Amino acid sequence: MLTFLKKDLLLFWRDRKEVLLVVILPLLIIVVLSISMSGMFDGDENLNVDLSLGLVIEDQPEEAIEVISNQISMSGKIPEDVKDNLINSIESAPPVELLTNALMSPGIGDWVTVKTLTEKEAVDSVENGGRDAMLVIPSGYTEQLLSYLYLGTENKPELSFSAKETSFEVDIIHDTIEGILNQMNLQYALSLSGTEVDMTQIQLPEGSTESIAADRDFTMGIDQYFTLSMGVLFVLFMASTVATRITLEKREQTFNRVTLSNAPPYHFLFGKTCATFILAMLQIILIFMGSHLILDVFSDRTMMFWSGLLLISIVFSLAVAGLAALMTSISLRIKNPETANGAFTGIIMLFGTIGGSFVPIYVLPDWLQKIGEFTPNGQTLSVLIEWFHFEDLSLIWLPLTVLTVFTVISVIISMMLYPKRGEVS
Amino acid sequence: MIETIQLSKKFKDKTVVQDVDMYLDQGESVGLLGPNGAGKSTTISMISSLLKPSSGDVKLNGESIIKNPSDIRKVLGVVPQDIALYQELTAYENLKFFGRIYRVPKDQLEDRIQHTLELVGLKDRQKDLIKTFSGGMKRRINIASALLHQPNILILDEPTVGIDPQSRNYILEMIRRLKVQNGTTILYTSHYMEEVEQLCDRVYIMDHGKVIASGSQSELLSILSNEDTISVQLSKMSPPLAKEVLALEPVRQVEEDGDTLKIISKKSSNIISDLVRLADQHQVKIINFQMVNPSLEDVFLHLTGRTLRD
Ligand SMILES: Nc1ncnc2c1ncn2[C@@H]1O[C@H](COP(=O)(O)OP(=O)(O)O)[C@@H](O)[C@H]1O
Ligand SMILES: [Mg+2]
Repeated sequence: MLTFLKKDLLLFWRDRKEVLLVVILPLLIIVVLSISMSGMFDGDENLNVDLSLGLVIEDQPEEAIEVISNQISMSGKIPEDVKDNLINSIESAPPVELLTNALMSPGIGDWVTVKTLTEKEAVDSVENGGRDAMLVIPSGYTEQLLSYLYLGTENKPELSFSAKETSFEVDIIHDTIEGILNQMNLQYALSLSGTEVDMTQIQLPEGSTESIAADRDFTMGIDQYFTLSMGVLFVLFMASTVATRITLEKREQTFNRVTLSNAPPYHFLFGKTCATFILAMLQIILIFMGSHLILDVFSDRTMMFWSGLLLISIVFSLAVAGLAALMTSISLRIKNPETANGAFTGIIMLFGTIGGSFVPIYVLPDWLQKIGEFTPNGQTLSVLIEWFHFEDLSLIWLPLTVLTVFTVISVIISMMLYPKRGEVS
Repeated sequence: MIETIQLSKKFKDKTVVQDVDMYLDQGESVGLLGPNGAGKSTTISMISSLLKPSSGDVKLNGESIIKNPSDIRKVLGVVPQDIALYQELTAYENLKFFGRIYRVPKDQLEDRIQHTLELVGLKDRQKDLIKTFSGGMKRRINIASALLHQPNILILDEPTVGIDPQSRNYILEMIRRLKVQNGTTILYTSHYMEEVEQLCDRVYIMDHGKVIASGSQSELLSILSNEDTISVQLSKMSPPLAKEVLALEPVRQVEEDGDTLKIISKKSSNIISDLVRLADQHQVKIINFQMVNPSLEDVFLHLTGRTLRD
C-alpha cells in the first residue's frame, strides 16, 4: 500500500503544473479577491460600504411630544425635580429626530445614505433594487415609545424594517439601527434617573460599527473570509484531481498491470485515499499559512486557535480523501472516462456552490442552503467561521463528528463499489 | 500448461472472439497471428485474467483460472499492446513500482531492476522520465516491466508495433534469448508474419475472432503444398493484365504489389507461356520471373483471400 502511496505522491510532485495550480492559484485568488473587494472595508476594518436606506416617517412627533409632556407634568410617579429636565430633553431631541440624526451622523452616514420617502416610493425602490432596505416609523411611535419609557405603559412600539432579500448589506443596516435604538433607549432611561445626559445626540461608542456588529460574521475581514472559503474550495478540488488521474491510469493501462500483479485490490484504493489525504492536508496548510504570511489573516491568534484550525483541517482533509475514494471506485466502474471526469467536476462544482464557496450562501434559496450545510465543504466552512469567532470546541465538535461519519461512510461505500475482477470496464 | 477451451467473448451483440481452442506447452513459443481487429488482444486479456470470457474456459495445469485468477497471475508476465507505464516517472521508478507490487523480494529487487535494464539495453537511461523516451525505448521498458517477477510464461501483445527496425530486431533478439536462456514459455501476438516466422515454434492464425489455422510453420506451409507462388516483375503494372491472369484456369489468386504480380496457382501447372502471351498483348515486358517459397503471409492470403495488413 505504501508503494501505491509513494507512486501517487511522486506522480503528483512530477506534475509541476498541478502543484502550482493547487497552491499558488488559490493564494492568488485569495489575494486578488481580497484586494479588489477591500474597497468595501477600509484599513482598520471599519465598514466603508455604500448602503442605501429609505426612511418612511408616518409618525407625528410634535403632537406626541405635547401630549407626553403634559402627561409627564401630571404624573405622580416621576419626581418633580426630574420632570422639567425630562420635558426639556424630549422637546429638544425628540426620538425620531435623534434616530434620523444618528443615521446621518458622520460615523454612520459615511456608508449609509438615508432618504426620506413616502411609503409607496420606499416600497417601490426596495422592490426594484434601488435601495437596500426601508425603515418605517409608524404613526404613534413617539407617543408609545415615550410613554413606555417614562410612564410605564406595557407596549413597546416597534419600527418596521424590511428588505427584498436578506443580504450582507441588509444585515449591517439592520444591526446598526438596532444599535442606535438601544443606545437611544439607554439615554432616555438615564435621563429619567436624573443623570446628566446630552440628549442632543446619541453617544455612539468608539468604533461604533464594530461594536454593534460584534459577534456577526462581517467582523471577519473579507480577506479572512476568502482565505477560509477558497482554502476549503480548492482542497475540495483535490478529490477530483485524484479521481481524474485514475482515468489516465485506466487509459494507459497501468491499472491493468496493477490488476495483473495480484496486489490486494484495496491497496490501490487506499493508496489513492491516503495520497489524497496527505495532499489535501499539505494544500490546506500551505494555503492558510500562505494567506497568513501575505495578508496576515490570523494575526494575534492563540495556540488554541491554531490547534483547532489544524484539527478542522485534518477532519476536512479526511472527508476529501473519502470523497476521492468514492470517486476512485466509481471511475473504475464507468466505461467512458470523460463521462466520469465530467461527472466528478460537476459534483465538485455543485458542492462548491451550495456549500457557499463561490457565492455567499444567502443568495441561495433556503432549501438549497439546508442541503449545502451537509456538503463537506459547506460544513467545514461554517465550522471554520465559528471557530474563527468563538474558539469554542463545544460549537464545532458535532459538525466535525458528522464530517467524520461522512468520511467513514464514503470509504465503506467505495470499498463496496470497488470492482472485482472482470468488472473493470 | 495453458489451454483455452471454446473461449468466446461478446461485447453487447458483437462476437469478438469465438470458440478459440489453443494450448501452450512448457518452454514453447507460440505465435498468434492475425490482422488488426482479429481478436488477438481480447483473447490475450481473457487468458491473462483481465477479462471474463462470455463462455468457454482458460485452464492452467488443468485448473480453471476464472474462479481463481491468482495462480496464473503469479506465473504470468504480460506485455500489453499499449505502453502501460507512468509517463511522469523514470524508467527506474516504473520498474521499482511494478517490481514492488509484484512482490519481488526487497533484497533482490535492485539487482533484478539493473539486470532487466541491462537486458533491454537501457541501463544508462534509467533516470530519465518515460515521456522523454523514443517509441522503441518505451516498448523496451514496457517489456522490462513484465519481466521483473521472472514469469514462467510471457505474453507479448504486438510488442514491436510502430517502432524502427533496429529497436524491433533488438526486441526480437531479446525475446529469443529469454526463451533459450530461461526456458520461458512465450505467447507472441503480431500481425507481422516475419516476426512470428522467426520466433515461434507453433502458430495460430486468427481472423474475425476465430482460429482459422494452426500448427507448426511447416504444417501451415504444407497447406500451400498444392500450390506454387510465382512472383512476376513487370516493366509496369497493368490491372487489365492482372485480371486476365486471374482468369487463367490454374490461377487461384493474383495480388498486385508495385510492379510485381504475385500469383498463386496450382502446383506444377505451366502458366509461363500464357503469361508471356498476355504480357505481350498488353505491351508489358516481363523483367523478372521467380518461383518463391511460400510464407505464412501466403497462407493467410490463401485462407482468407486478404493480406494480413489490409
Ligand atoms: N471493450 C470492447 N468493447 C467493444 N468492442 C471491443 C472491445 N474491445 C475490443 N473490441 C472489438 O473487438 C475486436 C477485436 O479487437 P482486438 O482483440 O483488440 O483485436 P486485435 O488485437 O486482434 O487487433 C475489434 O473489432 C474491437 O473493436
Ligand atoms: Mg491488439
